[in-house]
Amino acid sequence: MKKLFALSLAAVMALSVLAGCGGKSDSGSTAATTEAAASDAAYVFLDESLGVESYAIGFRVGDEELAQTVSGAVQALVLNGTYDEIGEKYPDIKDYLCLKAEDIDEASLPAEGSGDSSYTFKHGFDLDYPPYSYLQDDGSVGGFDVELCQAVCEYLGWGYEAVPFNWDAKDMELNAGSCDCIWSGFTKEGREDDYTWGITYSNNTQGIMVAADSGIKSLADLAGKSVGVQTATSAYDMLEDSQKELADTFSELKVYETYTVAFNDLKAGAIDAIAIDMTAGAFLIANDAK
Amino acid sequence: MTLSTMLASMGEGMLRTCAIFFLTLIFSMPLGMIVMFLRRSRFRIVREITKIYIAIMRGTPLMLQLLAWYFGPYYLFGMSIRGYRFPAIIIGFAMNYAAYFAEIYRGGIEAIPQGQYEAAEVLGYNSVQTFFKIILPQVIKTILPSVTNEVITLVKDTSLAFTLAYNEMFSLAKQIAASQTSFMPFVIAGIFYFIANYVVAFVMERIEKHYDYYK
Repeated sequence: MKKLFALSLAAVMALSVLAGCGGKSDSGSTAATTEAAASDAAYVFLDESLGVESYAIGFRVGDEELAQTVSGAVQALVLNGTYDEIGEKYPDIKDYLCLKAEDIDEASLPAEGSGDSSYTFKHGFDLDYPPYSYLQDDGSVGGFDVELCQAVCEYLGWGYEAVPFNWDAKDMELNAGSCDCIWSGFTKEGREDDYTWGITYSNNTQGIMVAADSGIKSLADLAGKSVGVQTATSAYDMLEDSQKELADTFSELKVYETYTVAFNDLKAGAIDAIAIDMTAGAFLIANDAK
Repeated sequence: MTLSTMLASMGEGMLRTCAIFFLTLIFSMPLGMIVMFLRRSRFRIVREITKIYIAIMRGTPLMLQLLAWYFGPYYLFGMSIRGYRFPAIIIGFAMNYAAYFAEIYRGGIEAIPQGQYEAAEVLGYNSVQTFFKIILPQVIKTILPSVTNEVITLVKDTSLAFTLAYNEMFSLAKQIAASQTSFMPFVIAGIFYFIANYVVAFVMERIEKHYDYYK
């Protein structure tokens, strides 16, 4: 009996090894085809998007004054051109920036250097979220949100302190006072009452990214396909909520811890599409083409 | 980002990882000894309380415990937690590992036959001498393989410090992987863990040999 068991166990293991090899050669060939396509823009976004949402600065509930001061300073930076200047550095974000100088009333803004110079503003963000906030090539903290926040502090005369946190613990960090704001590609929709909101500085679109040669052209083509998404992101929330009907047509909605892994799965052909914030997706595509 | 800058920024994280590793060992191994004594206490109430402590430490995810140690003082007492991040991580790790070590020690001690105590008594050893001269050396011999297991687990568990936004090596690897869209940082991280654990296993083997004097 024992022998039989051992024998069958060995057989199962041998089979799984064989299956593993089979899987490998499969993914090898798909990788080769995607590689061939990589020469001419390998990944594209569908024209239809999942929806638009606003990226804004979240403060502790009740921190109205701080929210107003920071929002005012952001607007002042729009007027003096710094906002667009930083935007130029991040081409993936530029198109979504929504603050325009002509809409701003200069009278209500805080004056340059009007802040308390002994105050240090603690900027809470996720270091895992390019191009809004991420670790740059030289190992320093950077990204659009980080630079804009630094510019705000400089404008007001405040000190700046970077508080990179774990995204899952962001509310605890904010409420416990480790940071003064959440400013890291932070979506306002669905969280209106949970924070005191500062200004919306970017209108971000959630889209679907596919391989250019996949033949998927519209959201309807996604029926029966497997789609990847990062956990606790807006794209994920949309697929669970406003786009639930669409998500139900997928053969599978695969939830990843980070988009890095999801993107590699897409490259390897293990999934057919990724639902992602279009700026973050454009960053992945641009980096991949390098 | 070149491989050398990647290694440089991860190198800093490796130092932080090592800091968690060594501090946790330094605090949790003696603390485990204390917990073990409490667990074997003559007083039932002490035993029961220690059992509950061990049950909580082993029965809940370390990640949640870290969150509780760090944010607890604020949410329970409204205290400021500025600058408390690193101490909270060490407390969390040490308290958790102490529970495991306590049970390993207990297993070792309870494996010593009663006859050893009786023999020591006959030879005129008092209870302190019996413990340190006769029982403990034998306990160390028996528990070493289990301790090695636990220490190796600790090397890999250090990545949980990321929960409290402490930039140890693995969280840096994740960040670099995100910004570079590359798996390379994970490969480096894997090699680092492997080498670190190889060193641990090697050192522990030497210690085992050292205690192997009856063979």
